[in-house]
Amino acid sequence: MMSKGKKFFMYAFLTIFSLLSIFPLYYMFCAATNKSIDVIAGKLIPGTYLIENYKSLIANQNLGLALWNSFRNSFILTVLCLLVCSIAGYGFEIYHDKGKDAVFTVLLTAMMIPFAAVMIPMFRMFSSLNMVNTMAAFMLPSISTPFMIMMFRQASRSFPHDIIEAARIDGLSELAIFFRMFFPTMRSTYAAAMTIVFMNAWNNYLWPKVILMTNESITMPMLVANLLGGYTVDYGMLMLGVFICTIPTAIVFFCLQKSFAEGITGAVK
Amino acid sequence: MSGSSKKGLTLQEKHGLTGWVFLTPAVLLICWTSFYPMIQAFILSLKTGMGVNLSFSGFSNYTRILKDPTFKQTLFNTFFYLIIQVPVMLVLALILASLLNNKQLRFKGLFRTCIFLPCATSLVSYAMIFRSLFANDGFVNTVLRGFGMNPIMWFANAWTARAVIIIALIWRWTGYNMVFYLSGLQNIEYSVYEAARIDGASPLQTFFKITVPLLKPTILLTTITSTNGTLQLFDESLNLTNGGPGKSTMTMSHYIYNTSFVQSPNFGYAAAMSIIILILVAILAILQMKVGDER
Amino acid sequence: MKRKLISALLALTMVISMTACGGGSGASGDSGSGDAAADDGGAAADAGTDAAADSGAGQEDAAPVEGGSADENTLTVWTWDPNFNIYAIQKAAEIYAQDHEGFKVEVSEVQSDDIETRLTTAVAAGDLSTLPDIFLMQDNSFQKYATNYPDIFTDLTSSGIDFSQFSSAKVAYSTLDGKNYGIPFDNGAVINCMRTDYLEEAGFTIDDFTDITWSDYMEKAKVVLEKTGQPILTSQAGSPDLIMMMLQSCGSSLFNEDGSVNIAGNEELKQMMDIYVQMVADGTLVEVTDWDQYIASLNNGTAVSALNGCWIMASITVAEDQSGKWAITNMPKLDGVSNATNYSNNGGSSWAISSNCQKVDLAIDFMNSTFAGSNALYDDVISKGALATWAPAGESEAYNESVEFFGNDAIYAKIVEFATHTPSNITGAYYYDARDAVGVALSNICQQGADIDSEIQTAQETVEFNMGG
Repeated sequence: MMSKGKKFFMYAFLTIFSLLSIFPLYYMFCAATNKSIDVIAGKLIPGTYLIENYKSLIANQNLGLALWNSFRNSFILTVLCLLVCSIAGYGFEIYHDKGKDAVFTVLLTAMMIPFAAVMIPMFRMFSSLNMVNTMAAFMLPSISTPFMIMMFRQASRSFPHDIIEAARIDGLSELAIFFRMFFPTMRSTYAAAMTIVFMNAWNNYLWPKVILMTNESITMPMLVANLLGGYTVDYGMLMLGVFICTIPTAIVFFCLQKSFAEGITGAVK
Repeated sequence: MSGSSKKGLTLQEKHGLTGWVFLTPAVLLICWTSFYPMIQAFILSLKTGMGVNLSFSGFSNYTRILKDPTFKQTLFNTFFYLIIQVPVMLVLALILASLLNNKQLRFKGLFRTCIFLPCATSLVSYAMIFRSLFANDGFVNTVLRGFGMNPIMWFANAWTARAVIIIALIWRWTGYNMVFYLSGLQNIEYSVYEAARIDGASPLQTFFKITVPLLKPTILLTTITSTNGTLQLFDESLNLTNGGPGKSTMTMSHYIYNTSFVQSPNFGYAAAMSIIILILVAILAILQMKVGDER
Repeated sequence: MKRKLISALLALTMVISMTACGGGSGASGDSGSGDAAADDGGAAADAGTDAAADSGAGQEDAAPVEGGSADENTLTVWTWDPNFNIYAIQKAAEIYAQDHEGFKVEVSEVQSDDIETRLTTAVAAGDLSTLPDIFLMQDNSFQKYATNYPDIFTDLTSSGIDFSQFSSAKVAYSTLDGKNYGIPFDNGAVINCMRTDYLEEAGFTIDDFTDITWSDYMEKAKVVLEKTGQPILTSQAGSPDLIMMMLQSCGSSLFNEDGSVNIAGNEELKQMMDIYVQMVADGTLVEVTDWDQYIASLNNGTAVSALNGCWIMASITVAEDQSGKWAITNMPKLDGVSNATNYSNNGGSSWAISSNCQKVDLAIDFMNSTFAGSNALYDDVISKGALATWAPAGESEAYNESVEFFGNDAIYAKIVEFATHTPSNITGAYYYDARDAVGVALSNICQQGADIDSEIQTAQETVEFNMGG
């Protein structure tokens, strides 16, 4: 057991770090409940203007649609991405040989070029396929990412080979081993990956802004950008929008953190 | 392992083939949505011209980079961020993750969520908050005055402005990297720690002798992605300081974006600079793989 | 059981995404219209009635009308700010629809930066079919697009729109080589907005700041600082706005007529930099870190005045308790410069009709009868703070009404008059490059104590370098 002093130090450290981390969230919350002019004056106490801010937000912007679009896009993208990348990462590691390692190294370069440079060629590609304004064009570039493949590749390294061998003797096909053995065992990795992919999908801004041009496809980050664009910015309303935009990722994280931090210790035998 | 299957393949060959099948969808997608545009970008980097009237000009965009003082400045800034920020952030994330992996700790979920939250926070509010915290009469200076120190004009000096960017980066991405470590730590059997404790290992020894070596694959992952992320840093440069004062905090990606979408567009040049970033990141990644990817 | 659930979920997601991908391909009605994307085909067909795909045209890949509307009486528009530009175009459509039954506009809310990103991306990718019929563009960016990508505009030179009724400085932004590419919209005339209560404390009235020169202004600013403790101006650090306003007030530009860079050796520019630096040294001009702080300084009373485009009024009037304490006058002019005036411009935007527009006649007639011909429209949008650059609008009664917030002055008529005196300047394709370079020079001089002459020289070289590629 830890000594009292050490324990105190540890809690103090974590508490300070946590407070620093959530301060902006607190600021956002306060701002969302205050009038624009108070926000700009730096008021740090919750106010009573929340309802008014909310009313002007929904009068100005289609909040429901943006939330729904963001949820749907992020959800579908997360599921597809996890499926494609985890099976590839598994393939790269479990069946690794010289050829696959080389391919993997080449793949890694795909994440190393700034997006601003490939955006135009990418747009040209999708427009020549008549796919502008489609969900597919929005999603395809983010389904398979070297980053996620690498994450699963690195995680597969701790997946015991005996399990695979045992399953093969039991007559399971290679695909079945992946779905029935790897998939449930690596719950913590999936949960962590899910958080990250969901967050990235949720916050994605530049590409959807260019490829999805109809009003119907507005997402939360676009909505927030709209609140910022006028000659005068209503800071109370803006911060309420930002606050609403932040909450879902926080909830997803809070729900998943148990699975990836206290998940399945001991399940791998 | 030597028994040959019906189709005349050894089991090993068959498994090798299965592996290829598993990674085909991902590889094809990346080829289509990343490599194809990258090749286009490379072709573009060999062209110059006004608007849409571009013509081939060989490597003139690349030789132009050598003469560009702004590019040199942004290259310096970016590497400065890389050298300071990545190690500090990763070490901090690792410490936090191993603290939060402690079975006896209470309120773990709350702590984890709090520490993760910065990277989920929308860029808009985060930039606004940091700018106001470090404003001339902002919170940080109020605290400094309280301690009897002189207030600092954070955004008026190149070095202090860079410091603000680094602080902001560490604040935002430490929790993000912590997620990977936390999930990686789950794959280390708790009994290993138990054994170490019984053998009388100090927490520090446990950390360096057990946690760090067993987390090596994850550490490699986070190092490569953080290096990549920092070399492509864009949001902070644009939203926190807008590159200022002068261009002393501007990053390479910010400059590339400006060259394409803010200034009179020069896509060929922007593409050439992007290719340079690609090469730089690739070299660093290969070095890191060489050091960290031994099986 | 759990596993089955997961695989079912996976399968479902696949189906949803596949149908979603398929549904959108021909029509521009995106699958995001609301309910489950699985019945997207139906949703896209429904969307046809109000916007995207009219039955015949949209289903096949009739590319030209993808962005523009296929409906005979509907125009698609990209613009930003629901309380300003969006309100104005919708009001215009309402007015136009009185004589043209069934007419309407379909507005997409897009930020000005994002409009530019979309335009650049589309034109660089060689696909103009995604452009709307009409879009709004910042005046400062107009020349960049007219020079680099004239193909995205419909030439309006012989459209029948009477450009002589707009202020000439304003029309110049959207004119290139004698061709008109834009219909001027809101006014960016520079106003000097001052706190009269502070002035009184210092023993001045607003008249003491009317029609004066910068040297006079700087002296009075010192008195104001001494008496009230407040700086007369605040400015966003590194922003060249103030310098650009001063520059235009004497008809000078960062470029010469032939397009060459006019930064090094530009005497007016140097004089302005000197004024700026001197005022910072005097403490009469305080640099703040960003735009939010700038607005805060106005609302909190830590600045005595704002020197900016007239659209700044909207941010000032937010502080309702300061009603009656503000007044408006013109800006100071430079000493010893022959063309110097007390008038300038900052910001503002113009409408453009895209080359993808299939109903050019309708779009031109719409513009001609509203933004270039309707007093009713301009009288209405004044409530949102959008001031006309269309001269006839200034004569209407609405513009001569007194405004309580600004000491019961008829400020609108005043501002429209300011606009008519504004000298025009040369922006050109590299305007942002040059502006940026001046901003960098200014911040190096003020914040890092760099030498003015060498910084101006560096700025000149930076812009020349950018133009050289």
